[in-house]
Amino acid sequence: MSSEIKMEKKSVSEWFKSGDPWVWLNAGAVAISVIMVVGLLLLIAVRGLGHFWPADVMQATYSLPGEKPYTVAAERVESVDVTSAQLREAGVNLPDDGDAILQRTLLKMGNRDVYGADFGWVLDKYLSDIQTPEMLFAAERHEWGNLYGYLMSVKEDGQVVSETTDLTPTDSALATWAAFEASIERASQIHDEIKDIEKGDIGKINHALERIRLKQRRLELSGDLTPAAEADLAAERSQYDEEYKGLQSTLAALYQQINRDSFTVQVMDGTVHDIQVSKIVHAFRPNAMGVFAKLGFYFNKVWEFLTDDPREANTEGGVFPAIFGTVMMVLLMTVLVTPFGVVAAVYLREYAKQGVITRVIRIAVNNLAGVPSIVYGVFGLGFFIYFLGSGIDEAFFPEALPSPTFGTGGLMWASITLALLTVPVVIVATEEGLSRIPRNVREGSLALGATKAETLWRVVLPMASPAIMTGVILAVARAAGEVAPLMLVGVVKLAPTLPLDGNYPFIHLDQKFMHLGFHIYDVGFQSPNVEAARPLVYATALLLVMVIALLNFSAVTIRNHLREKYKSLEM
Amino acid sequence: MSEEKTHSIDISAMQRSQQALRIEDETVCLSVKDLHLYYGEKEALKGVDMVIPEKKVTAFIGPSGCGKSTLLRCFNRMNDLVDSCRITGEINLHDSNIYAKGTDVAELRRRVGMVFQKPNPFPKSIYENVAYGLRIQGINKKRVIDETVEWALRSAALWDEVKDRLHESALGMSGGQQQRLVIARTVAVKPEVLLLDEPASALDPISTLKIEELIHELKKDFTIAIVTHNMQQAARVSDYTAFMYMGDLIEFGDTNSLFTNPSKQQTEDYITGRYG
Repeated sequence: MSSEIKMEKKSVSEWFKSGDPWVWLNAGAVAISVIMVVGLLLLIAVRGLGHFWPADVMQATYSLPGEKPYTVAAERVESVDVTSAQLREAGVNLPDDGDAILQRTLLKMGNRDVYGADFGWVLDKYLSDIQTPEMLFAAERHEWGNLYGYLMSVKEDGQVVSETTDLTPTDSALATWAAFEASIERASQIHDEIKDIEKGDIGKINHALERIRLKQRRLELSGDLTPAAEADLAAERSQYDEEYKGLQSTLAALYQQINRDSFTVQVMDGTVHDIQVSKIVHAFRPNAMGVFAKLGFYFNKVWEFLTDDPREANTEGGVFPAIFGTVMMVLLMTVLVTPFGVVAAVYLREYAKQGVITRVIRIAVNNLAGVPSIVYGVFGLGFFIYFLGSGIDEAFFPEALPSPTFGTGGLMWASITLALLTVPVVIVATEEGLSRIPRNVREGSLALGATKAETLWRVVLPMASPAIMTGVILAVARAAGEVAPLMLVGVVKLAPTLPLDGNYPFIHLDQKFMHLGFHIYDVGFQSPNVEAARPLVYATALLLVMVIALLNFSAVTIRNHLREKYKSLEM
Repeated sequence: MSEEKTHSIDISAMQRSQQALRIEDETVCLSVKDLHLYYGEKEALKGVDMVIPEKKVTAFIGPSGCGKSTLLRCFNRMNDLVDSCRITGEINLHDSNIYAKGTDVAELRRRVGMVFQKPNPFPKSIYENVAYGLRIQGINKKRVIDETVEWALRSAALWDEVKDRLHESALGMSGGQQQRLVIARTVAVKPEVLLLDEPASALDPISTLKIEELIHELKKDFTIAIVTHNMQQAARVSDYTAFMYMGDLIEFGDTNSLFTNPSKQQTEDYITGRYG
């Protein structure tokens, strides 16, 4: 027995000597990193993606002791355990019946316009008579969040076309529901038409009118505003005004049409409300949906999230402008930073006389990469926007003053600020790549009568391109995730128009834009409706990660392609 | 039978002609006058005087570090790339001093091409490698380039091996092929002088033989200067040989007499293998 123990001891010390613990430690560190990353992705994926699932809507009676019982219809959001003492402290009138810990559930009850708040906590213990009635429907609205209730009737021009008194799926109830769905379909088509006219055609006219106004102002400033020119402009303007009037009457007709239908709904407190169908985005009866119907609905919602504009202070609808802004800003940043960084690195490595000065510059460049990004934001605001931007405005856009064109945050300044932030990475990576090009390849080119510049252009830079791409990949990764400096130089909560559209000059570099990173912050912490916004924070975070991964993936693909092409460095 | 002949290597072409050569009879292509070269404080070439005869092969032999490669790199001013390098004296290509002020170095290097020890093809297609020098000169006519590429590859005895894969990467070729490609690339710009810096030292014996055969062919059109560690190779391919030691040119003469009857003791010691 004792000898066995001794052997054990010996083997432990030997185990330490063998270096195994070191291997375990290393492997453990890797494992922990992997678990953390996977856990992070899983958390945001589950929380974010779950949001789009049409959960069942339950109907129940809630009778808190000492209060009047009432009926709720709601989706369960989450449950937590709380102690009764805590509840009492919070003012809940609990009878002393021994339960120390109670389960509390957050319900999404919707109908903010009726109840005042669309989320509420209830104690599971006092919920009774829980059921999921098939005719209970949920409706997403353009305003006021979700609506839950029973459909009573559908009206056209105030005349009832279909009505029911049943709360169960009887023929009459289903017929009314069908009429309701048809009416929503019609309304959303008209809604799309209105949106097209308002954003597209009228947007174009506004753009043209603004151009005319600026032209007039420009002529006025230069003193060339002759009566003839003025008449020309006025004629042009009246033509657009005419067009605008035409559209306006079309719009008025459409609005009249869209407001034709209404419906009545009975909500849980028993009241009946008359609501216009045009207020509804879509209506559905989650309790009557099968798994496939729910899946279809789910992917529709995800698609809507990816492609729609945000609604209701960003807590509903999609994030397309933010995706677009993020990608566009990163691409523009890449286009700016790559040539700039490469040219700087070429000078430092190929032309500058190596010595103290180049060493100092290199150290400075490396340190630049460590400057906190908000500092770049401040610099961008102070130098680019206030100094350069207002200079540009005075020189090139005096007609628009006092409203600034480039003298305020915008896509271009944000891209330039981020390019400045990431240029050290590109310089360092490019220098590294240049230093790895074998001397004999350069000499081969020079010996053929090529000058140094020709050698650089035709041989050295192509061969260094994989290293340059590595720098670009790092730059993209850093820039896409940066939020702090952007808040100072052009990102906004809501940008109604995209920086790329059909109006001349097509890319609007001066325009403010939306960004996924800032969107997360805004939705999560600046939103009036915290509970509604929370799942969107996760969904947007997941989306941001995916957008960055996609941008990186494309850059890595390009790099691998270049590597394959120039894989001679092992000579 | 004839097919076999194309695949075997024609050794007879490599045997030196036996008639005596006299440097005085040759046309001078390059002449070196009192050439000193310093790397920082260190004097690497200590006053070299010699001539490189036209359309002949001149070999440079000597132990490592004797300055033969350095001298070769002086002929197309490759040493300019070394920061600490300083040169006095002159080298005349025909009648113009290549170290004179205002010399167009790129033009000089086009006239004096160089092939290095390790094959250094560009990471481009075989075709583009050979066309490189032409494109540098601004020649863009496809017909001209096509013709020159074929001519250069034929001159380098490479055409038959690569004519079906001209647009594949040059990096997929064997070392010997790569070295002949580099020679073709250099020949394509039609230089007057070819400098070969140990062109076969990284190659296997068969490839080496091919390169030697090629040198023999190329001297009809080009003046060739070759640095080699391999004395047999120098004896086989060259018409004139220079023996260098510690930055000095010890002996220079026609290859035949230098190898059979060296006039300096140092030369004899080296070629008989007593040092170096």
